Amino acid sequence: MTYIKVTVKQVGNKHKREFRLGPHATIADLLKELGHNRETIVVRCNGKIVVEEERLADGDLIEILPIVTGG
Amino acid sequence: MLKCTFCGRRAAYNRRYAGVLLCDRCLIKSVEKRFRRAIAKYKLLLPGERIAVAVSGGKDSVVAMHLLVEHCKLKNCELVAITIDEGIKGYRDQSMAIVRENAKSLGIEHFVVSFKRIFGATLDQMARRARARKTELNPCTYCGVMRRSLLNQAARELEADKLVTAHNLDDEVQAIMLNYVRADFSRLHRLGPAYSPREGFVPRIKPLREIPEKEVALYALLRGLKVHLAVCPYVGGIHTEIRDFLNQLEANHPNSKFMILRMFDRLKPQLAGIVPEFEMRRCKSCGEPTSAIICKSCELLKGLGLRRLRKTLNSPKSR
Repeated sequence: MTYIKVTVKQVGNKHKREFRLGPHATIADLLKELGHNRETIVVRCNGKIVVEEERLADGDLIEILPIVTGG
Repeated sequence: MLKCTFCGRRAAYNRRYAGVLLCDRCLIKSVEKRFRRAIAKYKLLLPGERIAVAVSGGKDSVVAMHLLVEHCKLKNCELVAITIDEGIKGYRDQSMAIVRENAKSLGIEHFVVSFKRIFGATLDQMARRARARKTELNPCTYCGVMRRSLLNQAARELEADKLVTAHNLDDEVQAIMLNYVRADFSRLHRLGPAYSPREGFVPRIKPLREIPEKEVALYALLRGLKVHLAVCPYVGGIHTEIRDFLNQLEANHPNSKFMILRMFDRLKPQLAGIVPEFEMRRCKSCGEPTSAIICKSCELLKGLGLRRLRKTLNSPKSR
């Protein structure tokens, strides 16, 4: 397989988006593509909170939860 | 799968500033340990004290309330919760329900003080007045000044020995940077794990001050606490710019936030010599402590064509 496909859901937003990434892509790579700063979010992969250095697998559901709410 | 540095379970958090990976259990234990360590290191709470905690329903204050319950059981302290209802439609009403639920499940007395009842206007109404009168002040100015004043007064009327606010590492570092940018020595000097006691003020303490915002959020999520994660509709301005700058700095250079805090803590004793001492008086209008003739809350209200309706709060208990 030359790429993997993951589904991304931002908590609080109904829409899901699909992304194609390289076979060795990590969550950190995906966040970079989406323009998210890791300091401001928590990531769930298939329902589990994981570290951004985890490698993605084909079919993963990634949920992004923004945690910075103050000014 | 990446594993926890300490126990080998699946990692949930990369604590990059310390070079360790933590699983859910180790992160929860670590946050609780840091909370207890801050209390012990700065002698924030003493056995048998009556403690008021300011709770908005956001992750930080809900986490603080849950951590304090455990602490109070061990140290024979009494805990009460205070929420300021500024009157932000679609935001505060949601978070208020979450505070009530948490306070009820923990068996804590919960008191609510509303802007509308004390000042005769909600923050939404004040924001509209400010726009109409072109005061050039944003809603955060009104909210910050008046909320702090009401929290202090509520804690004092409830005879609390300490008032806990849930400022985390990010909040504290943002405040340090903001005061640098504004060259505000007086406010900079007041920052720290505890405000020194002054007449009319209940000493304010910050036991989450050395816990990064992301770790507080993870603690809430991993423990399944009910928290309000919505963003205040009035957030913006220089606060947001400083927050974003610091988060970018931390992402590129882990440990930056802690270094800024440590540097400030070492510099703080030197500031004492250059910050003028001021005499505390009573506000001519409402009687609250202030260094001026009328307090900042009354001054802001006057600018909006409003005045304080009640001098005492007699905060109603939440039901």
